[in-house]
Amino acid sequence: MTPGKAAPRSFGRIDAFLSSVVSGRLKGASHVLLAPSSLVLGLFLILPVVLILAISFTKRGPYGSLVWSFTTSNYLQALRPAYFPVLARSFLFAGVTTLLCLAIAYPLAYALSFFAGGFRGALILMLMVPFWNSCLVAIYSWMILLGREGLLNGLLLRLGLIQAPVQFLGTSFAVILGLVYFYLPFMVLPLYACLEKIPRSLIDASKDLGAGVATTFLKVTLPLSLPGVFAGCILTFVPCVGDFLTADFLGGTKTYLIGNLIANQFLAAQDWPFGGAMAAILIVILSTGIFAYLRLESGGPEADALKVR
Amino acid sequence: MAQLTRRRFVQLAAFAAVGGYAALETACSRGPKQKTIRFFNWFNYIGKETLPRFERETGVKVTYEVYSTEDEMFAKLKAGVRGYDLLVATDFMIPRLKMLDLIEPIPQNLLQNLDNIDARFRDPIYDPGLQYSIPYLWGTTGIGYNTAKISKPPDTWWALWDEKYKGRITMLDAMRDAMAVSLLMLGLPYDSKNPAHLAKAKDLLLKQKPLLKQYTTSGYVDDLASGEIWIAQGWNGDVLQAAREKKQIDYVIPKEGSFIYVDSVVLLKGAARKQHVLELVDHLLKPDVAAEISNTVRYASPNAKALPLLDKELTADRRVFPTPEMQKKLHLQTPLDPEADELWNQTWQDVKVL
Repeated sequence: MTPGKAAPRSFGRIDAFLSSVVSGRLKGASHVLLAPSSLVLGLFLILPVVLILAISFTKRGPYGSLVWSFTTSNYLQALRPAYFPVLARSFLFAGVTTLLCLAIAYPLAYALSFFAGGFRGALILMLMVPFWNSCLVAIYSWMILLGREGLLNGLLLRLGLIQAPVQFLGTSFAVILGLVYFYLPFMVLPLYACLEKIPRSLIDASKDLGAGVATTFLKVTLPLSLPGVFAGCILTFVPCVGDFLTADFLGGTKTYLIGNLIANQFLAAQDWPFGGAMAAILIVILSTGIFAYLRLESGGPEADALKVR
Repeated sequence: MAQLTRRRFVQLAAFAAVGGYAALETACSRGPKQKTIRFFNWFNYIGKETLPRFERETGVKVTYEVYSTEDEMFAKLKAGVRGYDLLVATDFMIPRLKMLDLIEPIPQNLLQNLDNIDARFRDPIYDPGLQYSIPYLWGTTGIGYNTAKISKPPDTWWALWDEKYKGRITMLDAMRDAMAVSLLMLGLPYDSKNPAHLAKAKDLLLKQKPLLKQYTTSGYVDDLASGEIWIAQGWNGDVLQAAREKKQIDYVIPKEGSFIYVDSVVLLKGAARKQHVLELVDHLLKPDVAAEISNTVRYASPNAKALPLLDKELTADRRVFPTPEMQKKLHLQTPLDPEADELWNQTWQDVKVL
């Protein structure tokens, strides 16, 4: 998987491909070639989204049944100002998590790519191992670590750094810590894939031409790794906005996120139409954001950097 | 790890189950036609000998499956998972299941042991005349607390609003329990449909919110045992099961009164081999069977004839069988009609998002 650097380039390819399809040059072949991926996309992406959209325009009947009559009231309800803080909080948490992940993952991926040598495979494997675990087990482990009588408090008390146990669980700190823990691999892997692809000859050339370590990093490595940064940020940010398990278990009354609100509509509140409307709004916000960013980026620095090659 | 109590919220398991079962369902329903019935019950909510004995006596095989939250069970049935014959559901779920056409009336004339049910459980507000449900076990909502941290039983709901316990309190993440209790504390009708009443209940809950560690239905028992929290709104069965292992937890019903819930057996629509299903219902109603269940899970039995067969310490336990004076202050929650349900949902949502 090389979502890092490959992504923006293949967007270009797909564009070219699509335009040739639209212009009619590739008509017959394209249908056949696209069939498997269309099927997968249709079944696992389009169909669920269409279903959610359809449900979001229905009415909630008695005790959570669905009444199939068209209404936009769910959207009006979802856009009530009461829900803005939840949305803002979710984006804030996801944003902070993404930045923290980036801050941790960049040096990590850099070290993996440039200095790990023969240990690289083993190190990447170790990075992935926690990820194979059930995330529920991981959440419970964090609860044991962070509890008032937990290991972290015990350690801090013993070291004399604190006088009384600190309340970690139920705070924003615990939720963001959990999110960083869960989404770190999503940031490291695309970054690593991208850094790995940078031709070492470019770095050597930069050094030969008299640039120092810092200049080489800032003028060569960093710009060339931006597609990886971008891919990593999207892969971290988007699922983070919708996460609810972490906040459910590690969070408290002040960490209610949009994911919790939506999950709640489908479970406890049994208001699928409202949950659907919320989900649809979230999808629209996120995809608008990503497409706007893609547009901007296509003329941005890494596009130039790619041309160098 | 502590023994799981029946309401333990394993959300992920719920999701996996909903998906997995749909697939499994089709595979299983095509099996050979033998005398098998499927029983869907709360986690940890049956005696060890209850079903083996039935299987021995009747030759009918029972496939026993469990759920850990109402939401999980309801989402599953609502999503169209079929094939269960018998289900244990909490009182307020019964009008919903009925309205969504998921359950069918129980032919009472085919049950020989129905008369064993205590008279006061015979005509409940959620199912008048027990047309659709047979009471199975019952319990109360109250306060669980850590005896090492709180020595005097906190026998008032206001204890959950006490500044002293700031950050050490949890409330049930259950609309009915949280909202009805605040209405009760305000002296308002606990099943009010009046928006002004609900606004007051909301204000009271918002006043409490900064003091809370969490709204949770799952983690509070472990948290109480570990001292992570000191006091929690909870269900008696949950707290008492944990109290049997860890002595520093106790349970009290607040003096202002509280709520009881009745878990009942219902017959799912389209149940196959209905005759055998009814045999099982009748089996569950036998005094010794009901007593074995109650003795195992430490919940109170609504079966009057089973009471003499219960462990003496269980029947003497006021946390399981409250005193007659307290029983007068325990209410069965009135099922909400759809509009009230909507209003309550909205109010509860507003409490949680703010």
